[in-house]
Amino acid sequence: MSDTHLPRKVAIVPCSGIGKTYGSVSREAAYDVTEDLRPEKTQLVSLAMLVLGDEGARAALAGAPAVTIDGCKLACATKMVLESGGTVTKDYAVLDVYRRYKQFKPQGIAELNEGGQQLAHALAEEIAEVVDNTLAGTEGEKNG
Amino acid sequence: MPNFLETTIDKFTFKVADDRIYTHAGVWAQVEGNRVRIGLSDFQQQRSGDVAFAEIKPVSTQLAFDDEVAVIETIKVNISLGSPVAGSVVEVNPAMTDAPEVINQDPYGIGWMAVIKADDWEADRPRLMDPQTYFAHMKSLAQEELNKG
Repeated sequence: MSDTHLPRKVAIVPCSGIGKTYGSVSREAAYDVTEDLRPEKTQLVSLAMLVLGDEGARAALAGAPAVTIDGCKLACATKMVLESGGTVTKDYAVLDVYRRYKQFKPQGIAELNEGGQQLAHALAEEIAEVVDNTLAGTEGEKNG
Repeated sequence: MPNFLETTIDKFTFKVADDRIYTHAGVWAQVEGNRVRIGLSDFQQQRSGDVAFAEIKPVSTQLAFDDEVAVIETIKVNISLGSPVAGSVVEVNPAMTDAPEVINQDPYGIGWMAVIKADDWEADRPRLMDPQTYFAHMKSLAQEELNKG
């Protein structure tokens, strides 16, 4: 594959579980990636807008691989991206991530505790690497 | 394979296996000779949420009745579980370390937690609830939770 066929941005789609600790971790991680770690390579896409069928949100997924971050096993973010015709290059479940970073116990809802923020950042670092690999053409894909 | 007592409360369906007995806290005990296999009831696992970690007392740990045998950390709570039997831990389900989510996936099957060699099962047995009694207890707890809103 030549560079001209590679996508320029990766869509980041977090859980919209307002009022849930793990949903907050997913959103914090998404903000971290899209605003601080890889702002030039990523685009935040609102799950709520996808659920509403918003044209802009669906357009953001067209031709752009997506990284989804789910707060619970219902996996709404992943399911919605696939239903919207998007391509999931990597799907994260916050609980699985926490199992790998037991030292960062997330608590709090509107405002995460320090453990939750550290977990979100650790997840964001992982996603940043996936973004780099995806744009370099070395990460796998799951199609909707 | 056990049969199940089953009830649906609000949008949740809870099952109680009829081939074992239970503590008030929802720990089940299934006797196998002088060994007792233990795990978490379906109601208790659903009420507690997805399990992140399960720390079970290691093999050779000596327990009195109701001594802490496991600590379960879920996405909602940390719960300390008392042993339904006095005795010595002789086996711990290896999945508790590698894949504790089996507690949620199959609480009465592959989600078992440990096996305890009983000191005196006949002495402990009357302190536990038969499936029908636990079923009624569980329904009452579930209804209470529902009423809390």
